[in-house]
Amino acid sequence: MTVTREAVAVPDSTGPTIALLRTLRRGRARKKAASAAYWIYLAGLVVALYGGAQIASAYHAMRHPPLPTAQTPRILHATPAGLTALALLVLLVLLRDGLWRGPVTLPQPGVDWLLGTPVDRGRLLRPRFRGSAAVTVLAGTAVGIVPAAALVALGLGGHGVGHVLRLAGVAVISTGLLFGLGTGTAGLIERYPASARWVRRGTGAGLALAAVLGGLAAWAALGRPPAVLAAVALWSGPWGWAAQGMTALAGGPAPWWPAAIALLGAAALAALACAHHAAAGVPGAALRIRARTIGAMSAAVASFDTRGVALAYGGTAGSRRARLRIRPPRRRELVLFWRDLLALARAPARLAGAAVLTLLAVGLLAVAGRGQVSLVPVASALALAYLAAAWLCEGARLDAEDTRRSENLPFRFGSLAWWHAGVPGLVLLAVAGVPVAVLAVVTGDPWLVAFLVVTVPVLVGGALVNVFRPRSHPDLFGGVETPVGNTAAIMVLLWLALGPVLAVGPMTVLLSGALRSSRPAELVRTVVIGGGLAAGLGAYAAARARRLRSE
Amino acid sequence: MPPDPPPLLTLTGVSRAYGDRLALRPVDLAVAAGRCVAVMGANGSGKSTLLRIAAGRDTPSTGRVAYAGRTMTQDDLVVRTEIAIVGDMVSAYPDLTVREHLQLVATAHGAGRDGDELVDRALRECRLSDHGGALPGSLSSGQLQALHLAAMLVRPRRLMVLDEPEQRLDPAARRWLAGLLLAQKQAGAALLMATHHVELATAVADHVLVLSDGAVIGEGAPGIALTAIG
Repeated sequence: MTVTREAVAVPDSTGPTIALLRTLRRGRARKKAASAAYWIYLAGLVVALYGGAQIASAYHAMRHPPLPTAQTPRILHATPAGLTALALLVLLVLLRDGLWRGPVTLPQPGVDWLLGTPVDRGRLLRPRFRGSAAVTVLAGTAVGIVPAAALVALGLGGHGVGHVLRLAGVAVISTGLLFGLGTGTAGLIERYPASARWVRRGTGAGLALAAVLGGLAAWAALGRPPAVLAAVALWSGPWGWAAQGMTALAGGPAPWWPAAIALLGAAALAALACAHHAAAGVPGAALRIRARTIGAMSAAVASFDTRGVALAYGGTAGSRRARLRIRPPRRRELVLFWRDLLALARAPARLAGAAVLTLLAVGLLAVAGRGQVSLVPVASALALAYLAAAWLCEGARLDAEDTRRSENLPFRFGSLAWWHAGVPGLVLLAVAGVPVAVLAVVTGDPWLVAFLVVTVPVLVGGALVNVFRPRSHPDLFGGVETPVGNTAAIMVLLWLALGPVLAVGPMTVLLSGALRSSRPAELVRTVVIGGGLAAGLGAYAAARARRLRSE
Repeated sequence: MPPDPPPLLTLTGVSRAYGDRLALRPVDLAVAAGRCVAVMGANGSGKSTLLRIAAGRDTPSTGRVAYAGRTMTQDDLVVRTEIAIVGDMVSAYPDLTVREHLQLVATAHGAGRDGDELVDRALRECRLSDHGGALPGSLSSGQLQALHLAAMLVRPRRLMVLDEPEQRLDPAARRWLAGLLLAQKQAGAALLMATHHVELATAVADHVLVLSDGAVIGEGAPGIALTAIG
């Protein structure tokens, strides 16, 4: 077999090639199987040692499910729309998976060494699809335990173990079929790349529908919407069909649930069959891009590089970049503000997401009100606002990711942390400022504005502490042996999330104390301590930036 | 000089746009058996885009790609059988030796009993005989590039598409590469090669195409066309 001027007969070499690869990689396959068996054994051991009591109590709970409470009827009314909304969100996640990963994937060496050969794509790719689909459907059935357990815990598990098992069985079948439908459809999206455009456009509509269903669930829990709305939700699509069995067995209005499950099953089987047939035709270009993405993402996950994961996903998820231009400033002091504004203007989705998170945080605090405020809503609101601040620190993140980028700027690297605080802080103040000012006027409580002014720098400072975290190194994952065990887990956790720990933790205590109190001394103390905390976090972020530069 | 044989690969008015960015402006190109066309130009000039389209790895936004007289489509079985590509491989099976990689490719192309002989010859020609039992992780980057070139030699090939085959090779290995490609050409293979290396293009190519910002700014015999690069 050499160079030829004549047409080459296409050989039927698929069988021998796959057999050879299997033979050559037998050692590796054995190692993988041994590793999987070890992990299963380990998981079994952990469950047996530490989960025994929990399993026993779960069995007891199944035999004697919690009785309905005064809240149970409200929860039952919310169940049809609530479960439908959840099922829709799960389906959206599965469909989005088809945009960047999909059920048909080949590892990078497989792409490089086999795709360019005349090996039959069907025999190469269909087993990959079958494997993926089996894993996803199994995961789906495992996920089904969650809503079933939640319904039982909320007093909707009926009487006795038989009813609980029926509810769990229906939940497991419903979610398994839903995952099957999602995987099949994702396979078709992968096969027909032109459909990706529609999935991207449909995601927004799907999220809006989920929000409407969530609103309907809240309305059903608090008021009395027409019964027909629940029926409309349950028959609004496969997501509703998946919710019907659980709704019915929880005591809700879904008399035709067997038909709904049958419909869902038929849709799932049809999608899986079509995707299985179509797997042979998944374009080589798509397989190459996906193999690269999965490789990059796996490497990022293995090194706990959350930024790397986001970048690998963003590279294929089709995130749009706006082409907005902002005139550069004449004063050098403004150049980083300009650069950070540009980073946000070029990724408007980031800005919009941060604004939504900020408004949610303000809304949560407004609902919590003043007086006997518990820590939970305050911590949740601050966590949301912290996420918004972290999203807005994109400019700082770009500099931290590669310290050479800022070498031509007229600033020392350590001082960048301070300069990069400007835009995120101002954006957060602008977004949260209006609703907080309105609240302050309505409640006649000007301190709310002072709390905002002190909270924003703390959160931005925390976000910058995280942005300028040191590079990961093997010692981090080795930990240190102490009398109470190895410190690796806590060290990794702190390495990943020191910023939110330092910002959200103390601020939760401080802000909830201030919201409970009306004494001016307490309020002044909050503002002063908050200001000190912000300055401390800023200085710490600058110190971490200097260390990062010297690494 | 004998008259040009009919072209094996023909690109007519081929262009490629990514969104509203035009990576390749309309290009015409023909490669015949026993001939070599070199594509040269700065980084980002559109060389790799042109080669990906020519190898059936990408679809042009406009124009037609014909291989052996028929319109080429992505993932075309005939293309996969007859076109050998070097340049877009980025990885290797970490647990397979150099020899096993070549055995895999030979088997996938139906080498049958001739497989071992083909593999031995490819190892010799690519100066990898001493590394047949080595795993990819122990190879230098130049040896990995030689492995990718060897993979091309254990399979049938009427057209060879090479994207910067000289990369990661030292000067002596580049001279060896020029000899290898000349031998392939003389055996009747059609070669389409993107390269930054003027000496390699001059030694192997019959025709040079110079790209800049996705457009052809010069073409012709190597000596003449290379003046366009300056």
